Amino acid sequence: MASFTRRTLLAASGTALATAGAGLAAPALAQGRYPNRPVQVIVPWGAGGGTDATARIVSSLLERDLGQPFNVVNRTGGSGVVGHSAIATAQPDGYTIGMITVEITMMHWQGLTDLRPTSYTPLALMNSDPPGVTVAQNAPFADIRALAEAIRTRPAGTFRASGTGQGGIWHLALVGWLQAMGLRGDHVRWVPSNGAAPAMQELAAGGVDIVTCSIPEARAMIDANRARALAIMAPARNPMFAQVPTLNETLGINYSTGAWRGIAGPRNMPAEIAGALQAALKRAYDNREFQEFMSSRGFGTVWGDAAQFASFMAEGDRAMGDAMRAAGLARG
Amino acid sequence: MDALIQAFGLVFDPFVLGVIAVSAVFGMFVGAMPGLTATMATALLVPVTFFMPPVPALGAIVTATAMAIFAGDIPAAMLRMPGTPASAAYADESYAMTKKGQLNLNMGVNLVFSVAGGLVGVAVLIAAAPLLAEVAINFSSFEYFWLACLGLTCAVFLTNADAVKGFLSLFIGLLLATVGIDPSAGAPRFTFGEVELMQGVNFVATMIGVFAVSELLRGASTVRDAGHVVVQQVGDMFRGLGAVFRRYWFNFLRGSAIGTVIGALPGAGADIAAWISYAVSKRFSKEPEKFGTGHVEGIVDSTSANNSALGGAWIPALVFGIPGDSITAIVIGVLYMKGMNPGPTVFTENPQLIYAVFLIFILANLIMLPLGWAAIKSARQMLRTPRNILLPMILMFCIVGSFAMTNSLYGVAIMLAMGIFGWFLEEHGVPVAPLILGLVLGEMLEQTFVQNMIKADGNWLAFVDRPIAGALGVATLLIWAVMIARGTGLLGARRAAAA
Amino acid sequence: MRVNDAVLGVLLLGFAGWVWWLTSFFPAFPGQDYGPSLFPRILAAGIAGCGLLLALRGLRARQRLLTLDEWVRDPARLVSVLLMPGAVLAYIFVVDTLGFIPTAFAILLVLFLWFRARPVVALPVAAGVTLTIHWFFAGMMRVPLPRGLLDSVL
Repeated sequence: MASFTRRTLLAASGTALATAGAGLAAPALAQGRYPNRPVQVIVPWGAGGGTDATARIVSSLLERDLGQPFNVVNRTGGSGVVGHSAIATAQPDGYTIGMITVEITMMHWQGLTDLRPTSYTPLALMNSDPPGVTVAQNAPFADIRALAEAIRTRPAGTFRASGTGQGGIWHLALVGWLQAMGLRGDHVRWVPSNGAAPAMQELAAGGVDIVTCSIPEARAMIDANRARALAIMAPARNPMFAQVPTLNETLGINYSTGAWRGIAGPRNMPAEIAGALQAALKRAYDNREFQEFMSSRGFGTVWGDAAQFASFMAEGDRAMGDAMRAAGLARG
Repeated sequence: MDALIQAFGLVFDPFVLGVIAVSAVFGMFVGAMPGLTATMATALLVPVTFFMPPVPALGAIVTATAMAIFAGDIPAAMLRMPGTPASAAYADESYAMTKKGQLNLNMGVNLVFSVAGGLVGVAVLIAAAPLLAEVAINFSSFEYFWLACLGLTCAVFLTNADAVKGFLSLFIGLLLATVGIDPSAGAPRFTFGEVELMQGVNFVATMIGVFAVSELLRGASTVRDAGHVVVQQVGDMFRGLGAVFRRYWFNFLRGSAIGTVIGALPGAGADIAAWISYAVSKRFSKEPEKFGTGHVEGIVDSTSANNSALGGAWIPALVFGIPGDSITAIVIGVLYMKGMNPGPTVFTENPQLIYAVFLIFILANLIMLPLGWAAIKSARQMLRTPRNILLPMILMFCIVGSFAMTNSLYGVAIMLAMGIFGWFLEEHGVPVAPLILGLVLGEMLEQTFVQNMIKADGNWLAFVDRPIAGALGVATLLIWAVMIARGTGLLGARRAAAA
Repeated sequence: MRVNDAVLGVLLLGFAGWVWWLTSFFPAFPGQDYGPSLFPRILAAGIAGCGLLLALRGLRARQRLLTLDEWVRDPARLVSVLLMPGAVLAYIFVVDTLGFIPTAFAILLVLFLWFRARPVVALPVAAGVTLTIHWFFAGMMRVPLPRGLLDSVL
């Protein structure tokens, strides 16, 4: 207790000092100006991946805009549970925010965590990538129609697909597509993999027939002439991969889903800080640098402000719950 | 060709050259300091290289490890204390040479053959890795499953210690690898409701614990009464080297070849390469009776072998994503961090980055010559750094290093727990190398097993159905058969001795 | 410090049993015979096997139950050894409250002084090492070292 009082005292005097310092520089903004020290941006996925890259470009733009370091901190593992929980349990003071991903609408249905979209203060939706349908270069399917026909006519379990772990977003994409075709979710057998890259290696080596990860993740193997993208599960084509058709225009199946990424903070963040961040995020989203970076990697950009992001997540959460129950992936 | 020119541009950049220079000095220091290992140098470099571009990041690791493996020979020759485990095989021989008054020749041989052996390892890496990449693109989970088995086998096969304790260590490592989200159903295992445990046991923090913290525990008891040591003066190191090379050039080639192959075998690294090549040298020597009396022949073999193993270990790491030794086990993590995902595509996606790594490998071995000379000259001072200052500093670096691996105190907790556990194991004669290997390869083993069973629908024959998988499977099973035969033979011998 | 192989073997048997018991709570995955519990059970069996062999061997060899090294009996050396894990534990418990700089400085200073470094050396080295690590890791490498007490000053 003694240390607590001392800490509070010190912190208070420190704040006073800092405020005094800031006051000299900018009298009008002195009181409670945010941010006045470095901000942590927690990323639940590893350095070098798509989420990490997106978070880093956003952070660098926020840093330039708001004049304080925005440090990306990778808290990986546990299928995303570790990082998502670090964001949710941080002090809601605006100095710890993070990039949350589609898994927040899935993990609690699997019984991995109690966290759900409502455990956060949503700030902005920044990106969404649709799943693709990728086959090996030498696969005997000319296009998505031929593949769909083969899947439908052959017995269940003939084909094998991969892209992520059991119950991951790309697995659900496959299940959703199969169900939209009027088949059972396990008509194509799912081979769990440790991410999209090993799944693409399996595809090239002839270990699996289909990979349903996003096209940017499949890109290296496609460029190396080891794989072909047959379709994307999106409402419209991706301008970066304009030759890849959608399911709707080829099969007449109106199924689309996606792995989205957005910025959020712990629940109960002060409204003025959330507002400041949301405004800065909007400026970052509209920045040409952000748009150019995202399109160079083939990542889709989607904007949603705090309210839109919240309702987007609530809707996604419900849809994922239905899909996972139907596929037998929900637990508890 | 374009990629090669780009690679030159990437390497001969002031920042990159600066990083190489600093990490060379760092590697020399770590290697020459008994208790600090090349693996630990790599582990400590990970957080430091975290925010560097890929070329300086990998350059730092390549340079520091090459220097450290050589520098481990210095205290071996001067104090009979190997600076790194890779110098342990010939520390006695080397010290015996020094006692005979041949410190100059001893240091010269260690330096020059370390450089030459290192260059052989790099040459094989450059020549063979792209070829292997073409083969590796056809590797599916079946092939990887057998490779994981082979890697685990090598560790036990080549461990000198008690077989039961070697297996025990391996099983514990594999069990630690099952902590976290399981690869088949995505369910948490052994997490006891702790969110942090869902990420599994971080293996870099484990390695810092097992290699550094357990060493600090061993060292701490004598810090308060450490005495000073007297070291001989070093004169002209390069006199007489020509004669050694003319006489033992075949030993050099054989040592380098053995080193490269053992380095390339998943799981076995520079320390095992040094043991094996020393044993081979003695076995095939015309004067085996001279071994152990300060004879230079075995040193030529083994000091070439441990440095060539470094380059060799990168072959499976780059091409298969499988660690050739404990250093490349960390390097693979760094490659992923830098977006240079190991596998056949790393050569097609970013050839200039791979060429830059090769160039740094060559460069590091070349600057080892002058820098190693300087290090030997200044070894007297280095070996006198007071331990009562050094040990607490190392402890603080370990804490910060493992914290940086998980960005949370979980990494520090893992380091502490595994440090005490590793110390406990070594006190009981249980080797820790198999544990590390099990932890590194365990996830791959289980993941590919599950994938295979799903793909094959439970048909075990599918494990050997594909040609490469079949060959790997047969090789693995053969080695196991030999091991079991030898193991039962050994058990019989021990029983006879006991009776 | 080491225990008899027989004791070690019995400990391992107990450990393997505990692991096996824990695996019985893992969920099965519908339609898959080889679920999350398969590998841990194989490994538990392997560890139990090793434990059994060690126990038998230990009984045959009739070693002492517990062999203590010299340092365990010398209080000063015992403290030296225990201070290492103790320092890490102290770090884990106080660093979030105090922050990295005060914690690291205190730990280094205590260890230096216990290991008989002169205060005139220990003080500046502890301060220098702490600030260098903080500058390098927190500043240059952006590792989120806890800020603690100095939160608003840094």
